[in-house]
Amino acid sequence: MDMAIETFNLTKKYGAKVGCAEICLRVPRGQIFGFLGPNGAGKSTLVKMLVGLLFPTSGKAILLGRALGDVGMRGKTGFLPENFRYHDWLTGRQLMDFHASLYGLKGPAKKRRMGEVLELVGLAGKENQKVHTYSKGMRQRAGLACALLPDPDLLFLDEPTSALDPIGRKDVREILVTLKTLGKTVFLNSHLLSEVEMICDSVAFIRQGKIIRQGMLDDLRAGDIEMELKVGGLTPALTAALSSLACLVEVDHDTVRVRVKQEQDIPRLAAAVVGGGGYLYEMNRKKSTLEEMFISTTAGGDQIC
Amino acid sequence: MLTMMGITFREGLNRKVLLISLILAVIFLGLYGTGVHYAAKSFNEHPNPMVAAVVYPQLLSFGLYFGGFIVSFLAIFSAVGAISSEIETGIIQAVITKPIRRRDYVLGKFLGLGLFLALYAALFFAVIALVINLKTGLAPEGQWRALGLFALQPVVLLAVTLFGSTVLPTIANGVVMFMLYAVAVIGGMVEQVGWLINNTGLQQAGIVTSLVMPVDSLYRKIVHLLINPTANPLNALQQMGPFGSMAEPSVWMVVYAVLYVVFFTGLAVYAFNRKDI
Repeated sequence: MDMAIETFNLTKKYGAKVGCAEICLRVPRGQIFGFLGPNGAGKSTLVKMLVGLLFPTSGKAILLGRALGDVGMRGKTGFLPENFRYHDWLTGRQLMDFHASLYGLKGPAKKRRMGEVLELVGLAGKENQKVHTYSKGMRQRAGLACALLPDPDLLFLDEPTSALDPIGRKDVREILVTLKTLGKTVFLNSHLLSEVEMICDSVAFIRQGKIIRQGMLDDLRAGDIEMELKVGGLTPALTAALSSLACLVEVDHDTVRVRVKQEQDIPRLAAAVVGGGGYLYEMNRKKSTLEEMFISTTAGGDQIC
Repeated sequence: MLTMMGITFREGLNRKVLLISLILAVIFLGLYGTGVHYAAKSFNEHPNPMVAAVVYPQLLSFGLYFGGFIVSFLAIFSAVGAISSEIETGIIQAVITKPIRRRDYVLGKFLGLGLFLALYAALFFAVIALVINLKTGLAPEGQWRALGLFALQPVVLLAVTLFGSTVLPTIANGVVMFMLYAVAVIGGMVEQVGWLINNTGLQQAGIVTSLVMPVDSLYRKIVHLLINPTANPLNALQQMGPFGSMAEPSVWMVVYAVLYVVFFTGLAVYAFNRKDI
């Protein structure tokens, strides 16, 4: 499989302190890859090494078939840093112009591409405002626009939706999914697990500088799903009917907790309650599987968002 | 590199430090012009060619000395966080991850700021020379070479400050650079006193400080270029005082200053090429 990112024992040490240890990652082209871990686990360290801000202590990495630090490779890479700060005395258009020039874009091609990305991130019409007058969300959109300027094959996004409202988040998700359909690869560093779960194809978990789990999201979450039901008129017959569909975890007065093997079993549970003469007041999925996975695999880290 | 140079130049024009420097420059030049005006008026009313021949060149060197102060302050303030503040704010993260070499980032900063500072200094010099010329009729030879050296002064400070900005936090760099500049100024005065009282120790102390920071010796060279030392028997009087230049720095001092710029800019590139951000 053609890989967008391959790292081989990539390690970064700050004196005795380990930032990242022997990271071996493989991200195929055309995927949205979610990189997860608690604060201070080494997520930013890895991203910074991959985009060329930090120099690895040892190990190597291949991005888009080229070695780290290759200037040509960077021309096909976009990066939205976590602490997006820009020359805020420029207007949006001047900022785009500066970043487009850094990417080597010139003349009509530059102008056309600037118009395209401003439209794409929803900043069209606001490009003549100074960046310091932008809201936090608009700045994040401007940052994303800068990262998209070269029509990158590989896009690194460090918390790309942290400052956005729900509509902004949806917009960004749609942009990322569109990029994926165009065969681009997205490396997404995010705490927003629901977002990751919605769009990522594969994920990796990092803890204390080490990758502790990685794989396709579907494979990783192919485990049990825990459901909590609040049922009126719960009878032993109804409980038995539920247990035939799912593994019974706990029955406490009118509350039943069960585990099902697959998503398709969830509506069957509801049908069983109604069919058995019960009244279904509530039915909740107990945490997302990704969140459970996150907590179980990264236990001991900081509180997560 | 040209993109970085362009944005750095524009940033220089946009910064508040330029506005403050311009206001200071206007105040200074206003006061200076007034002083020169009244001095010239006094000599016109009570002609005394002998004293005028001593005072006019001293007025010129006085103007260039304090003009050099303002230009040097601007150089240090503009360059003190050229790289470190971009690291501290995070602006750099979206810049050097683009397809540019780190070398081009540093050189673009150097050239953008260098051009901005050299133009500012040249303009400052031109105004002082014009004020002196209009009011006193003094039009020394070697003005163009002096202008070049005056414009080189902030570039020398820029090179070393830019290097500091790659290895030190902004505030620490500012403190170090002002101390370095103070060393040059005091060293220059010590050397001047050394020549006046013919004390070799003081002269050598001045030479050593010129090697550490050659800005002041550039100023002394400028004074010599403007106030011709051989043709005038009053030279010794003209060159007296803290703003004069009793001993002309050799042309090698100018060469040294240029190499100093090249060395520290190269060192900034070297340090930045290896820097984790």
